[in-house]
Parts: sequence; structure tokens; C-alpha cells
Amino acid sequence: MSKITRRDFIKLTGAGAATLAFGYAATARSANGPRVVVVGGGFGGATCAKYLKRADSNIQVTLIEPNKKFITCPFSNYVIGGMRKIESITQTYDALRTKHGVNVVHDTVTAIDAAGKKVTLKSGKTVPYDRLVVSPGIDFKWTAITGYSEQAATIMPHAWKAGAQTTLLRKKLEAMKNGGLVVMVAPPNPFRCPPGPYERASIMAHYLKQHKPKSKIIILDPKDDFSKKGLFMAGWEKLYPGMIEWVPGSKGGEVKSVNTRTMVVEGTLEKYKAAVVNLIPAQTAGAIALKSGLADDKGWCPVDPKTFESKLHPGIHVIGDASIAGALPKSGFAANSEAKITASAIVAMFHGEGVADASYVNTCYSLLAPNYGISVAGVYRVTDKGIVQIEGGVSPKDATAGFREDEAKYATGWYASITADTWG
Amino acid sequence: MRFALLIKIPVLLIAGFTATACTTATPAPVAKPATAPVAQVVEKPVTAATAVNMANNCFACHGPNGVSPGSIPSLHALTAQNITDMLKTFRSGERPSTVMGRHAKGYTNTEIEAISSYIASLNKK
Repeated sequence: MSKITRRDFIKLTGAGAATLAFGYAATARSANGPRVVVVGGGFGGATCAKYLKRADSNIQVTLIEPNKKFITCPFSNYVIGGMRKIESITQTYDALRTKHGVNVVHDTVTAIDAAGKKVTLKSGKTVPYDRLVVSPGIDFKWTAITGYSEQAATIMPHAWKAGAQTTLLRKKLEAMKNGGLVVMVAPPNPFRCPPGPYERASIMAHYLKQHKPKSKIIILDPKDDFSKKGLFMAGWEKLYPGMIEWVPGSKGGEVKSVNTRTMVVEGTLEKYKAAVVNLIPAQTAGAIALKSGLADDKGWCPVDPKTFESKLHPGIHVIGDASIAGALPKSGFAANSEAKITASAIVAMFHGEGVADASYVNTCYSLLAPNYGISVAGVYRVTDKGIVQIEGGVSPKDATAGFREDEAKYATGWYASITADTWG
Repeated sequence: MRFALLIKIPVLLIAGFTATACTTATPAPVAKPATAPVAQVVEKPVTAATAVNMANNCFACHGPNGVSPGSIPSLHALTAQNITDMLKTFRSGERPSTVMGRHAKGYTNTEIEAISSYIASLNKK
């Protein structure tokens, strides 16, 4: 028995779900445990890989991520505002590899074979799995606004995937003259990081107030509401009076077209000639999820709320921004929380045990200025309605300056902690 | 590796925790739920695996195994009783907090005790 590998064992007994529990028992002795492939090394994927190994080091975990370094969207607004360097929001996979025993492969998954239980990589290799975790983040609907495209994003950056786009938007703000108009085009729901556009507007205003105080920011928004709206609006009034104007969808905020040559952004009622445009497009689940049939007709992935196993392809779990996670927002924090529950469920399945109750948490801090923080926090459980928020809420609206300062301090602490929890 | 870390830090972190608790002595936040709660938390037994699922969420802010690398207080040097007491008083509002009151309201006494025991047990490993 000791010389029979898990694969041989399955061959002998016939491959199938029913053999998995026995397969695991056999491999516990052969040091050749069940195989999980994780696609994507962001908050969801990296956390899941780490917590799988943490729960059962016998599981063979392969993390496939194209980039050798991962630049986080959280805190990228502070790079745009000049408060942080991009190096300080850059994570590596060294600890996952050396401390946690995750096999990290820098390659791109080009196809998922759900029936054959294997993924194909750009390099041509195939990697077999017993369970697959897909954490691909988001992609953009490039054609939703006339005149916008991947090419147009080099002139009107989205900066909604951190990296070169973040640096580009920073450079455009730096190059802008005092008195210039910054137009932000906010995305329709659902999208990655619900408070993100409004935090970005705040931090850009913080930079402009110090260096280009005659400048103005207009947010053109297809929506009539947004995350922490009351707190943001009150903060803008206090910190940046007259600098930030928010145009909701019902007042002409929806943008139909842009022109990258004239820098004109066309709302439904007015045209705006901008010095800098930050256009955050409508979004879908990451391309690989769409290509693999993991997404519904709206472009997001339906999953079991207790295990994040795909409702369309059993054996594949979809976590993070790409998933339809009920009341949970599309945030790095939620992805981290979903990843841990998913890891726990996968380990229980391999062990032939019942899946423990799921419990999710989210906290999103936003800075309006370096010493002015606000938050939204929630505790989530699974009911017959899916994932619902049972408690939580936003920071008090009449909080003291000390309270806002503490939340700003904790925002920075949160970043240090969650990145250590995910990649450390 | 993990053990070495634990030996070095405890005293400083307890001090850090106390100091932070004092600096956040602003009026107790009356947080309005972003969305109306649609489920009630009811007392029922908690399995060990469920307690781990709940406690793992704490590490996103309080650091891996409760060892915080930044400004948020660490948990790993606290006893189960310490953690339970703090969570219950955050929940009641008796202990002022920025965000912990909003979180603690999401758990029953049984859950708080189970979460606390798990986090405290990591200290012993």
C-alpha cells in the first residue's frame, strides 16, 4: 500500500467523487495528498492557498498567478494621491512558497477542463486537480462607453487594477495645471470596492488642495447612491468645500461617450472638458471565469453560499470579486474571508467530514485625508436567503476628530495585517 | 519560527492594547446597520470547526494568528477570558470602540467564548 500513489489508488478503484474520501485516507500515508489548484494570487487566491496548507499540510496546493509581484488595489488610492510609493503596496509570493509550502507557478491559465479536472497554461503545460479554486478578480466591459477601450485607458486611466494604471493616473494629476478639471466616471453596480471611487475622489482632492487648489473634481455617476455616501459627503464639505461635485444618475451623471482626443466626457445632460479623466468602466468576473462557463449571463459567478462551490461546475470554487456572494461586497477583505471558508470546506470534503457553518466578515476603511478615516463593517451568515448581513454598519456620523483619526490609524494597521494574513 | 515571535512580543503588545483602548475612549458609536439585519443570532452550540471559521476572520485585521504587524492591537498574548470580556463589553458598548462594537454584536455568548478559546489556544502552540 505504501507504494501505491493516490493516482494509482483512484485508477484501481475507479475515479469519481465516491473514491475521494478513501483516496485521502490512502494519501495520508503516502505523503501525496489531494491536489488543489488555485487560479489567481490576489486576496482570495493567496489566502485560500495559505489556509488550505494551514488546515492540512498534506494537500498539494498549486497557485497559478501570472505576476511575480502583486500590487494591491487597497491603498493604491494613496499612491495616486502621493501619500505612498507603489513599492509599499507590492506583495510577493516568497512566504507562500517557503513558509507555507505552496507551489507557486507564474503562468496564465488559458483553459479550464471541468470534466477532465485539469487546467491548461499559456506555456502549454496542463495541471490536474481534484478541486479547483478560481479567484480571477474582475475584467472590464470595454465597449459600454462609446470612445473608451483598452487603448483609450492609456489616455483616460481606469486605475481599477493596480499597477501601471495607478502610476499613470498619478502622473496625469502631477502634470495637470492648477485650476484643471478632473472628471471621474464612476462605474455601475456591481463593481470592485464599493467605496473606492469616492475615497479616490477624496484623496485626489487632498493632493489638489495642497498643490493645485484652484482645481476641481466632478464625479459622474450612473448611480443615485453609493457606499458610505453620508459620511463621504459630510467629509467633503468639511475638508474640501466646493472642490468635489457628485452628479448622480438622475441628474445626468450617466456617461454615454468620451473623446480621448478632445478630452470631452459626455453626460446625459452636459458635456465636460477635462484636464484629467479617470474612467472606471463597468465590470464582470475575470475573463477566465467567463471563458470557462463559470459566469451567468450578467457576467458574475453563482456559487453555493456555504462553500463557494460553483453552481454551474461542481468541483470548482469561485471566490472573491468574481463570485455572486449575496450581501458581501466585492472587497479584498471579503475575498480573504471567503477564501478561508472555502479552504475550510474543501478540507472537510477531502476528509469526508461535514462542512462547518460559514461565517463571513468585512471591514472597509476609507481615508478622506491622512488623518480622517471612516469605515463600514459587517458580520455575515448564511440563511435560506443566501449570505446576509446580520450586524454591522458605518462609522457614526457625528464622531469626534479623535475617532476619525483612530480610524485612519486603523486603516493603515488593517493594510499591514491583511497583507500579512494573505501573503505573509 | 512562530514560537520565537510569540516570546518576543507579549509584554509590549499588552501595553499597546491598553494604550489603544484608552485613545479610543470617544463616545460609544451608535452604528446604524448599512442594511437592516435580516437574521437573528440565536444561542446554540458551536462546533470546534465553526469556531475556527469564525476566529480566522479576526486575523484579517489583527494579523496572522492574532499577531498584528501594525497599529491594530494583537490578540495572541491575551487569555481566552480577556478576549471574551473585551468582546462582550465592546458588544454592550460598555467598552468604547471604533469598529469592534459593530463586529461583536454579530456573535452570541457561546460563539464569543468559542472564538476566544481558539485564539488563546494558538498562543500555546
